[in-house]
Amino acid sequence: MFYRTAGQFKTSYESDQALFPVRQDAILLAVILVFAWVIFPLTASEFTFQTLLIPILIYALAAMGLNILTGYAGQLSLGTAAFMGVGAYACYKMVTLMPWLNPVVAILLSGVFSAGVGVAFGIPSLRIKGFYLAIATLAAQFFLVWLFEKWAWLYNYNASGAIQVPNLTMFGVYVAGPQADSWVQYYLVLAIVSVMTVLCINLTRGNLGRTWKATRDVDIAAELIGINLMKSKLTAFMVSSYVVGVAGALFVFMWRGAAEPNLFDIPLSFRILFIAIIGGLGSILGNYLGAILIVGLPVVLGTLPAALGIPISSSMVEHINVMMVGGLIVFFLIIEPHGLAQLWRLIREKLIIWPFPH
Amino acid sequence: MKHITRLAAVAALGAVMGTGVVAQELFAPNLSYRTGPFAATGIPLMNGQRDYMLMLNARDGGIGGLPVNFEECETGYSTEKGVECYEKTKGQAIVTQPWSTGITLQVLPKTNVDEIPILAPGYGFSPMADGKVFQWAFNTPASYWDAASMILQYLEAQGDLSGKKIAFLHLDHPYGKEPLPFLELKAAEDGFELLPIPVGLKEMQNQSAQWLQIRRERPDYVVMWGWGAMNAGAITEAVKTKFPMDNMIGVWWAGHDADLKIVGAEGKGYKSISWSYPALDAAVLADIKTHVVDAGNSLSNEEEMQGVFYNRGLVISMILAEGIRAAQEHTGNAQITASDLRWGLENLNVTDARLAELGMTGMVPPFQTTCANHTGHSGGWMLEWDGEKFIKTSDLLQAEADAIQPLEAAKAAEYAEANAPWAMSETCDAPS
Repeated sequence: MFYRTAGQFKTSYESDQALFPVRQDAILLAVILVFAWVIFPLTASEFTFQTLLIPILIYALAAMGLNILTGYAGQLSLGTAAFMGVGAYACYKMVTLMPWLNPVVAILLSGVFSAGVGVAFGIPSLRIKGFYLAIATLAAQFFLVWLFEKWAWLYNYNASGAIQVPNLTMFGVYVAGPQADSWVQYYLVLAIVSVMTVLCINLTRGNLGRTWKATRDVDIAAELIGINLMKSKLTAFMVSSYVVGVAGALFVFMWRGAAEPNLFDIPLSFRILFIAIIGGLGSILGNYLGAILIVGLPVVLGTLPAALGIPISSSMVEHINVMMVGGLIVFFLIIEPHGLAQLWRLIREKLIIWPFPH
Repeated sequence: MKHITRLAAVAALGAVMGTGVVAQELFAPNLSYRTGPFAATGIPLMNGQRDYMLMLNARDGGIGGLPVNFEECETGYSTEKGVECYEKTKGQAIVTQPWSTGITLQVLPKTNVDEIPILAPGYGFSPMADGKVFQWAFNTPASYWDAASMILQYLEAQGDLSGKKIAFLHLDHPYGKEPLPFLELKAAEDGFELLPIPVGLKEMQNQSAQWLQIRRERPDYVVMWGWGAMNAGAITEAVKTKFPMDNMIGVWWAGHDADLKIVGAEGKGYKSISWSYPALDAAVLADIKTHVVDAGNSLSNEEEMQGVFYNRGLVISMILAEGIRAAQEHTGNAQITASDLRWGLENLNVTDARLAELGMTGMVPPFQTTCANHTGHSGGWMLEWDGEKFIKTSDLLQAEADAIQPLEAAKAAEYAEANAPWAMSETCDAPS
């Protein structure tokens, strides 16, 4: 009823291949965008900005980067957090060496460094696959975190070994550092994440995306039909690491404000991998759904007992929270092993024929 | 995507309902960690802090007639959760107690903008002592550089340090690296060899590589800056490699009874510098017994209550309570604001007489803070493990203020510059 496609005729190849062949999809997206760009910023409190809106967007972006590599090109990576770290440290070095640099430019450039590092660590993927490749990316994870600890130049010889985001301005407004307002940071993150999302959607729908998918599905067949596997795998590593690097720079500069090397250790990699898997591998929308479930839900669950006036101690809330989120992950994976994006796809298909199934 | 709206609606609801409870109480939240990898060391501290505030509420009806709402927000020692808790509580809170060097680092620049005092007793960033730069941060009563200085003094009293070799076994983390600038300075000055040995977060429980290095290098002393599982790991390893325990000294966070109980009598001689001491005959403990434990409100147990960490928790809450009291007396209002509390914490004067009134004689050395000095530099005692418990083994040691102060000023200025524009207090010298 709400999703009826009757009467929407495609009269040209362009309209058939459009991003939204069904009009309702476009309307739904427009509503979401209005919420993201207008309603949330107007209504959100500082707490909502800092614990829900900004982190969900940043985690979704990081998962999107990983999804390009693992979901689209089929190369399993366990080094996402380390590549985020490369982006964050590159951004830190750039803004401290060149304070005149526009922060947004610095953030976008920092992805270039992680793309380079990503390609270097992607070279083993030409020879090894699957779990063996996962071990190779694990090496990147350990090596890079070790480097962040030992290479004092990276953190400007700071005694504590941590990086601290300075106050950065753009057109006279603070955008990073403790002086920055949350809503400014939110808009900046939203803009960058939106641009990156459009970029990723287009890349994965285009020629490059098809080569990635062919590489993922049967790489020998892909090679036989003339796909250059080296190019396909290395571009996947490059694009993925770029997106992940930008997410890392946003992570530290637009949200955390400070970072120590072990922040980029393996738990963060796993967290992002979980977001990508639960959201749905090989999907763009899934990254957002996964981030909402993994990042947003615990925060909301944590505020519930206090909001409802249930007197339990905060450590108990934390224990219950961990159990509930774990349970939900298992639940969602049982009802739909292909992730939340697939779940939404099924719901949408059912909605299209509802209430008159064949 | 619809989830977002629903989540935001629930969060907004929570925020609205959360603001309804501010009436007539002193909201002093604690970012506790009773879960996670560091819970074993966190729980006794949190219990001590909580019991002291509960005791004040039960015995005196709070502070200045207003009950203290000592709500806990669980972080599990995770920085992410810590920031979440800070954002959640900062609206109504008069203080923030971050309880982890990582969270402190993250929250420190924010408190300067949000104007909330950050109370980090005995941890955090040593240059926070400079109250002109760190207007809102307090690491009363002693900083890590104080600890390093006191340890070196104690060692010097055992014999000249020049030509000696001191291994500095530390967690490879901002916390463990904190005393390094001071130790390097002193190594150059006193002519001893400093051998920093980092322990990665993943190696905390298995330090065989580090102890192999210690065995090879044969240092005269091992100074340890450990936390959580690292302490027990180091102490068991030291016992295993037969390192003379008398020559091993930890910072105050490496003096947890439970870590030493694992090795028991074999750990005899292990020392830990401390600015608090479990004086079990102190009157305050009797009050806690009557008003909190017997009323069934304590989360602690008999054994834990005799430990160093539980009693340190009491001292920490006492510092906060004294700050609140000073602020109330200064403003004449019972309901104080965050900036009033800052004044209070800047004008603490915990003398021996005051300690006697509080029933805490011998639990903490007397100290005094000022606008320019946020640490108070109480000094501390060397505690020694006698096989069953920690006992005082030295007189009150005092940190060398003249060696630490220039370093504090230099590092504080560096921090302010890196975080420019940084609001500083210019009025410290003016009478208030």
